[in-house]
Amino acid sequence: MLSGPMANEAEIEEVRRSLGLDRPIFEQFFVYVQNLLRGDLGKSWQSNEPVLDEILLRLPASIELLILALVTGTIIGVPTGLYAAYRPNRLFDQITRFGSLLGFSIPTYWFALVATFVFFFLLRWAAPPLGRIGMEVFPPPDITGSYFVDSLLTGNLAAASSAGHHLLLPAIVFSIIVSAPIIKQTRAIALEALGSDYVRYARACGYGPGLVRRIALRASFAPIVTFIGSETTTMLLAVSLIEFIFSWGGFGQWGLNAILFGDFAAVQGYVLVLATFSAFVFLFVDLLVLLFEPRSGLLK
Amino acid sequence: MSLLKVDNLHTHFVTRDLKDELRVAKALNGVSFALEQGEILGLVGETGAGKSLTAMSIMGLLSPPARVVEGSVRFKETELINLPVGDLDQLRGQEITMIVQSPVSSLDPLKRIGRQLIRMQQVHRAITTAEARKRAIEMLRIVGIPNPERRIRAWPHELSGGMAQRVLIAMALINEPSLIIADEPTTGLDVTVQAQILDLLLDLVSERSMSAIVITHDLGIVAHYCGRMAVMFAGRIVEEGPTRDVFKNPSHPYTQALISSAPSHAGSRQRASAAGPPPNLYNLPEGCHYRDRCPSARDICATQPHPVMVSAGHQAACHFVAETSSQEPVGS
Amino acid sequence: MTTASRTAPKPIGMRLLSNSRGLTRRSPTFAAGLIIVGFFAFLSFFASWVAPFNPIQVFPDSVLTAPGGQFFLGTDGNGMDVFSRVIHGSRFAFSIAIPSVVLMIAIGVPLGLITGYRGGMLDEILLRILDVMRSFPAIILALAVVAATGQTLLNVIIVLGLVEAPIFARVVRAEVLTLRSSGFVESAVAAGNSTRRVIFVHIMPNAISGATAQIALRMAWAVRASATLAFLGIGIQAPAPEWGAMIRQGAEFMISGQWWIALFPGIALVCIVLGFNLLGDGLHDLLDPKRKPTGK
Repeated sequence: MLSGPMANEAEIEEVRRSLGLDRPIFEQFFVYVQNLLRGDLGKSWQSNEPVLDEILLRLPASIELLILALVTGTIIGVPTGLYAAYRPNRLFDQITRFGSLLGFSIPTYWFALVATFVFFFLLRWAAPPLGRIGMEVFPPPDITGSYFVDSLLTGNLAAASSAGHHLLLPAIVFSIIVSAPIIKQTRAIALEALGSDYVRYARACGYGPGLVRRIALRASFAPIVTFIGSETTTMLLAVSLIEFIFSWGGFGQWGLNAILFGDFAAVQGYVLVLATFSAFVFLFVDLLVLLFEPRSGLLK
Repeated sequence: MSLLKVDNLHTHFVTRDLKDELRVAKALNGVSFALEQGEILGLVGETGAGKSLTAMSIMGLLSPPARVVEGSVRFKETELINLPVGDLDQLRGQEITMIVQSPVSSLDPLKRIGRQLIRMQQVHRAITTAEARKRAIEMLRIVGIPNPERRIRAWPHELSGGMAQRVLIAMALINEPSLIIADEPTTGLDVTVQAQILDLLLDLVSERSMSAIVITHDLGIVAHYCGRMAVMFAGRIVEEGPTRDVFKNPSHPYTQALISSAPSHAGSRQRASAAGPPPNLYNLPEGCHYRDRCPSARDICATQPHPVMVSAGHQAACHFVAETSSQEPVGS
Repeated sequence: MTTASRTAPKPIGMRLLSNSRGLTRRSPTFAAGLIIVGFFAFLSFFASWVAPFNPIQVFPDSVLTAPGGQFFLGTDGNGMDVFSRVIHGSRFAFSIAIPSVVLMIAIGVPLGLITGYRGGMLDEILLRILDVMRSFPAIILALAVVAATGQTLLNVIIVLGLVEAPIFARVVRAEVLTLRSSGFVESAVAAGNSTRRVIFVHIMPNAISGATAQIALRMAWAVRASATLAFLGIGIQAPAPEWGAMIRQGAEFMISGQWWIALFPGIALVCIVLGFNLLGDGLHDLLDPKRKPTGK
């Protein structure tokens, strides 16, 4: 592939040798890890740039979307799930259960396209689904990496408005797709807390309904946070797909393209960063929960 | 005027089965008893007889699909059934308190036990945190927890079963209630600890002239600690009276079977064993619920037996009280 | 054998029917899911009869026509009838999902049984694999592998089946763990049954019934995953009437206002995935509460 479609046997051999592909598998892996520890993730053959640089360049854009996904999913998902649990089997609960099941079944990319049609083509509320900011505006200087935040920070309202409009479609997609599993699980966790021994005992102690509810809510907090943390992978997938469709210029789009074009070093880099990022998020969430959970034994 | 008067309490479970038909489990079928000030009543029966359910119904702690469908519970002249939740919450934890089966999982897992004892007080009366804390420490000392000043900072999961139960006793007594309901307070505890807990609880109760209902399946506990007892079967009280009288002169076939099968009575007069299939709450026999297991059942048992007085304060719900009792009835 | 039966046994069909009415009312989600999946199964069988046109037949004069008239759901950029393509697309959904789920079961069940019952090294390995998979979107893994190994239908099926097999194994393993400590297993072992017999004759049927709901959910995932792959350009591609591929085609036209090309295949996807999810949820409802004792 690298040598070009016209290469003959000899030339392919030559390229192979230069890349070290003729060495045994173990040696190749060992060399890879060595390079890794030195910060060298190889070179993307598409762009001929180091993979690490390519990733770092695009990471801020993806983080922006990831935070958007996290915030939208949580703000919509958790209150809805809780509300449904506290009024079980009433109309709201039924609608919510069905709605979240529906959200589970909607393909992210398709919904993005439909949202584009409705909110851009029909309503003209959202910006054209290309990139992170309009062509007519200059992107703001790089402070946080988010066009929207940086525009606000530098007082550039035109840029902020354009960036904001470009964030609208992703936000709409995330609000349905990411919140669906959160609604379902939050509801289940809250229901379990409400049926627990300690809630029943609290009622027996004559604590009013408000206090009982607070006790149940506090006990639900840790499992809910843990669950949202575990949804990172789902969010990463959704973010990658959104980037791909909207040409966001983020790390997810780059990674998917790398896979499609067979850019092996890039794919390895993509996979590695994805997995490492998730691992760190899980660790972080676990530590967070551990800090607030008396059962861990850290609180003395 | 009795402290607590339960009258004709009926509690049902309504569910739908696989064929989507309504199924009604009649768990309580006309439970009636009275409790006087200062009395300790033992409520006995096999699993599924409805003992815990009676307590839940009294305290208003039933969750769907369980419902009280008929009857009344009067506590000091206040009707508890259908009492507005706000009023009920004032009584619960203050006038009527409860001790439950699984102490460790019943305490709030996210609050230290000291804070829970303080909260228990502050919910029901105006009391400063400092004062409540003092009383909490004192209460822990009274229930026999060593080093209470340090222990108030403990988390529920750090406690053993016995310790946690002591904390529940502290929670139950700290607001000086009139009535304590102890629902199988020693289940799951070590045998050695069981006696300690019961001794502690009932000493404190009688010390303060409180009243108590002790729910248990263990006749030994009833014999040892309870002045009066009531025997339950299939949601009805089949016999009640002073404990000594009931043990000496059990007048209902079920009570007789229970007592004679208790280990301490092994070797004495042989009666039918108390064992048998549990009653099907969805399909109880007409009339006396014990018919299907009773050796003396006859045609008349198809009509519901009414409580018949055996002696002063002692009654049994059986058609054949006069025949099966081992003594001549004092007044019939 | 001359045993005369007093009453003829109720015909199985009648029993199923009388139970099913209760079943469906007991769990409307199950019923709804069954109807939806059944509908699509019907479509995939009888596609050639139901669809008005050949799905890859080109009508050069009617490129990009809006829904209505001769073309019920419009035509796409190549002049092919969207309606017929959507109907035929259901074939792909089943022809990919069923084999890959069968593969998942074939690998996952034995794996789950052995790791649940025996534990040991294999169990540790499975748990590590599951940990790794949890930190990674499975679809991306499937995408990378298929892209690297060749974009054939067979590959897609195999890769999807392999990728999700650990998840299935985990469910079976959980069932086995619960069953292992139950009375009847202990008595089976005490009665002297060989380990193999205990696993396959005693444990497996119960473990599988517990995992039935998961089967429906894996089908939902498989359909979704294969469509996502096709959308990204891997696996089945145009002109084959696969829904994901159709959405990919329709994407470029969405911005210019020809909404029908991408919309309808997506709606079909939503419905069938929803159907499987409802089925799975319904099975959960049916199989779980049965274990709870009634009343007190």
